[in-house]
Amino acid sequence: MMKKQQAFFFVPYLLWIVLFVIAPLVLIIYQSFQNLSGHFTWANYASYLGSATYLKMTAESVWCALVITVVTLVISYPTAVVLNRLPNKQFWLLLVILPTWINLLLKTYAFIGLFAHNGSVNHFLEFLGLGAHQLLFTDTSFIIVASYIELPFMVLPIFNSLASLPSSLINAAADLGASRWQTFTRVIWPLSLSGVKAGIQAVFIPSLSLFMITRLIAGNRVITLGTAIEEHFLTTQNWGMGSTIGVILILAMFIVMGLTGEKKKQQGGRH
Amino acid sequence: MKKQHTGWLGKVYLALVLVILYLPIFYLVYYSFSSGKTMEKFGHFSLVHYRVLATDTRMIQIVINTAIIALLSSLIATVIGTLGALVIKRVRFRQQRQVLLSLNNVLMVSPDVLIGASFLIFFTVIGLRLGFVSVLLSHIAFSIPIVVLMVLPKLNEMSPTLADAAADLGATPWQSLSRVTLPAMTPGILVGYFMAFTYSLDDFAVTFFVTGNGFTTLSVEIYSRARQGINLEINALSTVVFLLSLALVAGYYFLSSRAGRRNRVMTVKEGDVQ
Amino acid sequence: MAHPLIEFRHIKKAYGDNVVLKDINFQLESGKFYTLLGPSGSGKTTILRIIAGFNEATSGDVIFDGQRINDVPANRRQVNTVFQDYALFPHLNVFENVAFGLRLKKVGTQEINERVERALRLVHLQGYQEREITEMSGGQQQRVAIARAIVNRPKVLMLDEALSALDYKLRKEMQTELRALQRRLGITFIFVTHDQSEALAMSDQIFVINDGLIQQSGSPVDIYDEPLNHFVADFIGESNIVPAIMKRDYLVNIGGLDFECVDAGMRPNEKVEVVLRPEDLDITSPEKGKLLVTVDTQLFRGVDYQITAHDADRHEWKINSIHKTTVGSQVGLSFDPEDIHVMRLHESEQDFDNRLESYEDEK
Repeated sequence: MMKKQQAFFFVPYLLWIVLFVIAPLVLIIYQSFQNLSGHFTWANYASYLGSATYLKMTAESVWCALVITVVTLVISYPTAVVLNRLPNKQFWLLLVILPTWINLLLKTYAFIGLFAHNGSVNHFLEFLGLGAHQLLFTDTSFIIVASYIELPFMVLPIFNSLASLPSSLINAAADLGASRWQTFTRVIWPLSLSGVKAGIQAVFIPSLSLFMITRLIAGNRVITLGTAIEEHFLTTQNWGMGSTIGVILILAMFIVMGLTGEKKKQQGGRH
Repeated sequence: MKKQHTGWLGKVYLALVLVILYLPIFYLVYYSFSSGKTMEKFGHFSLVHYRVLATDTRMIQIVINTAIIALLSSLIATVIGTLGALVIKRVRFRQQRQVLLSLNNVLMVSPDVLIGASFLIFFTVIGLRLGFVSVLLSHIAFSIPIVVLMVLPKLNEMSPTLADAAADLGATPWQSLSRVTLPAMTPGILVGYFMAFTYSLDDFAVTFFVTGNGFTTLSVEIYSRARQGINLEINALSTVVFLLSLALVAGYYFLSSRAGRRNRVMTVKEGDVQ
Repeated sequence: MAHPLIEFRHIKKAYGDNVVLKDINFQLESGKFYTLLGPSGSGKTTILRIIAGFNEATSGDVIFDGQRINDVPANRRQVNTVFQDYALFPHLNVFENVAFGLRLKKVGTQEINERVERALRLVHLQGYQEREITEMSGGQQQRVAIARAIVNRPKVLMLDEALSALDYKLRKEMQTELRALQRRLGITFIFVTHDQSEALAMSDQIFVINDGLIQQSGSPVDIYDEPLNHFVADFIGESNIVPAIMKRDYLVNIGGLDFECVDAGMRPNEKVEVVLRPEDLDITSPEKGKLLVTVDTQLFRGVDYQITAHDADRHEWKINSIHKTTVGSQVGLSFDPEDIHVMRLHESEQDFDNRLESYEDEK
């Protein structure tokens, strides 16, 4: 085959890999070793590790992400099970997924109205006799909104793993004398674990890095790694420190992916 | 699990989940028809916010910008991504292919904040002024991997003997590519283009980092207006966006069902979660 | 052989350390039906792919019509292939699939129409032009694949396990049809299969391939009646292969008993293997039999009974008999001297031919 054709195939894509995959990755690591005047330094890492504020923020971010993951998992698993038993399951799944196609900012914006002091949720709480509460600008509101947004991303992989279970397996388990509960704990749950892991990946990592939800719902407090990065890059212009937190986020990402094992990348997800 | 039917409890549970999922959206749509200024009390039915939206030239300009970026970036990303799928398919050694695939997926798994921040550093280093070009390049960059992931399965599905058969019948490598391989990839290319388009339309975080002062897309504009508080013009905009999204979903499912019932790509548009 | 159409000279093919073809030499004449027969992994498909040009030989020469074609790309070779999975283009209908090669050669529309029509008629698919590939059954797809190949008027048509995806009945039908088609077109067919009955039924000449080497080549009758070695005897048809000693010419000792046979040309008391086909063994009373065996199992197969039995040395015998016998009973086996085929250990095809000639002249 002619050389020219080969080049035509290879060059654009490989250029993309070099310029937009490798270069940015290298640059953010390089930047994390730079101080404000552009000299090599360990200071960013030193101050990150030495500062109670940063460590507390990181712990808080991880904790929030963990809570969000658990909340979405607890809601999603039964949802996926129910969905999978419906006659028209593809249609109902589509209904669950549809909200993800609507701009994230708009959905977040909706919660500003819902959670306002005079908003509908407080009206509802008053109606129940629980009284109005400060809802906006709290960690709880952040967790609720983030869980709401991430929910379909947890349902989908679990649904897929359940849907790919051949029904003969369930029949086989019953045939071998398993009760419905035993069938679940011994057959269905272990086999849907890959979906659960994929769901955890799809939810946990974004939850660490969300920043617009924290800005809009949780006020101007820095409570996630994402918010911290955004703040350092766009507000305080301390890119070195921002990149350092970015590297921490990359590490967190690898840890999560390592813990959840199997690389299930075909879910079609940019997170 | 087909045989087991769901009792009423399961159905009620699913209904509850669906209500929660749709409540905020319909809440926005509902108040867009209110004559009031807040989402606390419904005034009376009015289209005033739609009228404001229709005369908001800044907003209209931003919508046009967003559309141009989405159309252009998805088109270019589709071309490069399709070539990328061919490149990956051609690599003979499994390990090398695995490396390429991993590199391909880096941007798929990276949080948007990281993509945005690292692209910002990259553009600054090469001295590119932030604006239309930097946003366009970023959107192309983060859309390429999804195109690759949509096209590659079509290539893998294609029996390797098809290319042999084309050569056997006298096709040059070019003819084999254009007459056999390309038609086989087409469904994947279409779905990939579509995904790239919606990714671009919906992106907020990456654009937010690389957009600079002069240029704005819809997501960034909604963000800055939402930070200033409730503005029912945004509600009117949500209704429009909601309807457009419905049309896009319908289009997507039309495309992917044409792409073959067997391997319908059940994909969430994940530009959403940053 | 006047002027071979295809010739392999010392063809070797290796993927790294994995040697697929060791040293392949053959000459194919034009207008004959050849079969490459061997188990999977034997290298037979690799030979076909080297002829087609999909793979390159590591060393050796591929000669086509007197020209060395090692470096000619597949798209410029005058051979066409019917693939195992048919490799029909899913985005084109039947007509366009068949017309594919002609369109590439920029043949005129009128001529394309005529030739496609004729090719489809040859495979009994007239009127199917507008059908989509997905609407065709497996057998019909197979015919489209054949039409797509022959419409280009190749000098050689190669079929790679072309019938193995079809069900039994259709496969039998297609065997007859392929043979008739080859006679009608008068071109060389190279048929690759692992199915020995298919090979025996269709071919002018069979190449038995195993382990990257041609084990034996010859007409179906030659190969069936006079297998060269243990592999060929075992792979082609059913057989009883037993160790024996060649006492002298025309006398072989099996399990301590001497039998008259028709083979010669070996050293006295040479260790050999003897092949006895199950259908050549007749069951008689113990007194009349040359061998005494005890019946172990009996299966009715429609045309005959498949019987297994063992002799005094606990050696197992397969017998195909149209007469029923009783499991557990002792019976005699009788056979004629011609039914015994003696194989020397590690004899090459050339030596075998020479030896055969030497004593057949004597007779």
